[in-house]
Amino acid sequence: MLANRLRTLLTMLGIIIGITSVVLLLAVGDSMKRFIGKELEQLGTNMLFISPGGDRAQQQRMRSGAQPAMTIRDAEALNQLPSLAGAAPVLQGGFNLAVGNENASKTVHGVTPAMFKIRGWKIDKGSAFSDADVRSSARMVVIGRKVADQFFYKQDPLGKYIRIESVSFQVVGVLYGEGKQVDGGDLSEYVIVPITAAAANLVKTAFPGNVHYVVAQGKSGGNLQDAILDIGETLRDRHHIKIDQPDDFRIDNLASFAETAQKISAGIAALLALIGAISLIVGGIGIMNIMLVSVTERTREIGIRMAIGAKPRDVLLQFLTEAVVICLVGGIFGIVLATGAAAGITASGKFDVFITLQAVVVACGFSSLVGVFFGFYPARRASKLLPVDCLRYE
Amino acid sequence: MSDAANQLLIDIRQVTKSYFSGSVETQVLHGIDLAVPRGDFLAVMGQSGSGKSTLMNIFGCLDQATGGSYFLNGVDTLTLSRNELATIRNRTIGFVFQSFNLIKRMSVAENVALPLIYAGVSRAKAHAKALVELERVGLKEMAKRTPNQLSGGQQQRVAIARALVGDPPLILADEPTGNLDTQTSEEIMRSFQQLNQERGITILLVTHEPDIAAYSKRLMRLKDGRVLYDGPAAEGLQQLAMSH
Repeated sequence: MLANRLRTLLTMLGIIIGITSVVLLLAVGDSMKRFIGKELEQLGTNMLFISPGGDRAQQQRMRSGAQPAMTIRDAEALNQLPSLAGAAPVLQGGFNLAVGNENASKTVHGVTPAMFKIRGWKIDKGSAFSDADVRSSARMVVIGRKVADQFFYKQDPLGKYIRIESVSFQVVGVLYGEGKQVDGGDLSEYVIVPITAAAANLVKTAFPGNVHYVVAQGKSGGNLQDAILDIGETLRDRHHIKIDQPDDFRIDNLASFAETAQKISAGIAALLALIGAISLIVGGIGIMNIMLVSVTERTREIGIRMAIGAKPRDVLLQFLTEAVVICLVGGIFGIVLATGAAAGITASGKFDVFITLQAVVVACGFSSLVGVFFGFYPARRASKLLPVDCLRYE
Repeated sequence: MSDAANQLLIDIRQVTKSYFSGSVETQVLHGIDLAVPRGDFLAVMGQSGSGKSTLMNIFGCLDQATGGSYFLNGVDTLTLSRNELATIRNRTIGFVFQSFNLIKRMSVAENVALPLIYAGVSRAKAHAKALVELERVGLKEMAKRTPNQLSGGQQQRVAIARALVGDPPLILADEPTGNLDTQTSEEIMRSFQQLNQERGITILLVTHEPDIAAYSKRLMRLKDGRVLYDGPAAEGLQQLAMSH
């Protein structure tokens, strides 16, 4: 009996793994959707990212000798567009920061004051730098809370200096809040300097005034598509692109980022679905195998049951039920495992995963289906046995 | 003729049975005739290979005859489907086997109730009826045990209770005392006699022991698939004793 229990459990493994994958797949898909929705809400849906180089255009123009580029002037022009609430350029890169002996590598964002408004950055202490500071390439820096804690533990960071790649920047403000941003960084770890200071001291560009990308925000209540058209027109005009030539820039909005995220989560889901399907098939074959063994082992019992009045259908149902029960128990184990895994993922803090009732119902349905599908052949075989042969079986 | 036929519980005519292994045919039964009226107590004797087990399997609708006819309780069994045969085994026949054939994973009461479950009786009713039958064989207090916890004689009494639980008119007992000691065998045989006399149940018994056959009213001896003797038990046993 104990040996049988072990045997049954081993047989269940495939089902357990399969159902775990199926439940996780549903949970991750669902949580991913919720996560993306929450992110979008946090970031605002009317943000546009304008980066140099169209899809094919970039290569085409590079071949003809021109460098695709977005400049600070482009950003300034876009900032004036009535259909936009604002536009700001960005130069960014990872640099070494040091105060005294303390040093760390951080992503530094070179921006204009317009960016504070667009991204909704709030200042906790001190102030942001001004347009005048940008014009004078002032070496000023606004830092996130964690950065402040790291370099100026329990001290007032305002007025102090941080060396970024050996160039001293004076801290003028500390950002309010924390949390993941659209670029994957945490707000509390941001290091923000005037874009001109970044260009002069940190980021090397092919031509002065080049920026990595421009962030624009559509007017709230306005039509984002109109804003995109305006931006395109303005930039084509500024870049002297002829009517038959393609754009040398691309405009992404968060919807397209969400699409990318959706594609990634669909990829994860597809992988889990594949693992789940393979495990369920392998597990089902295991179930079929064990049921065939069980039918052989219990040939005599089948004979006894038939002798006292079991119809072929009764025998069929008995073995089919057994297969379904094994699969269902495996399915329940799978649900428990998936719940554990979901709790693990949630605890790791990257991502909240919840097992939904729908996932549990689907898992139970799937495992029953596997039981019926793979249990049918052995059960049918049992039901076709002749009582006289079964009773003679030792 | 038809009236007489209706009186008969078992009516077989010219029953033959052959087995094929490849193209080689082995004939086990060569045209057996037998008419068993209700209330009879018939012992079938014969050496191994005489065809008595094959005949018993045909009686029990566990196996089908190759030729001839078999009417059980007025029904032509050779035309029945597997489902109909299962119903006949369930309602008309109670089986008692040499090796008891109880299901070891199930309790005594569950074993006894099983035929009723297959008959579609509710679990509660089947369980109650099982306890009544267990009480008749004096094993009610064993109801919750498993067969392995019982002696051979007790297991066979459980098997008898199972055979009787559906109130069938016929009991088929295949070497029912083959695995039991002499004293227990006598007890079992006396309970068969009682069932025959008090409840009017027809009993068909297969045995190779004259002592056991002596409990029956009527004896049939088989040899090489043919009937050697069919008549009163006492006479037949005397003949058998003299032939040795």
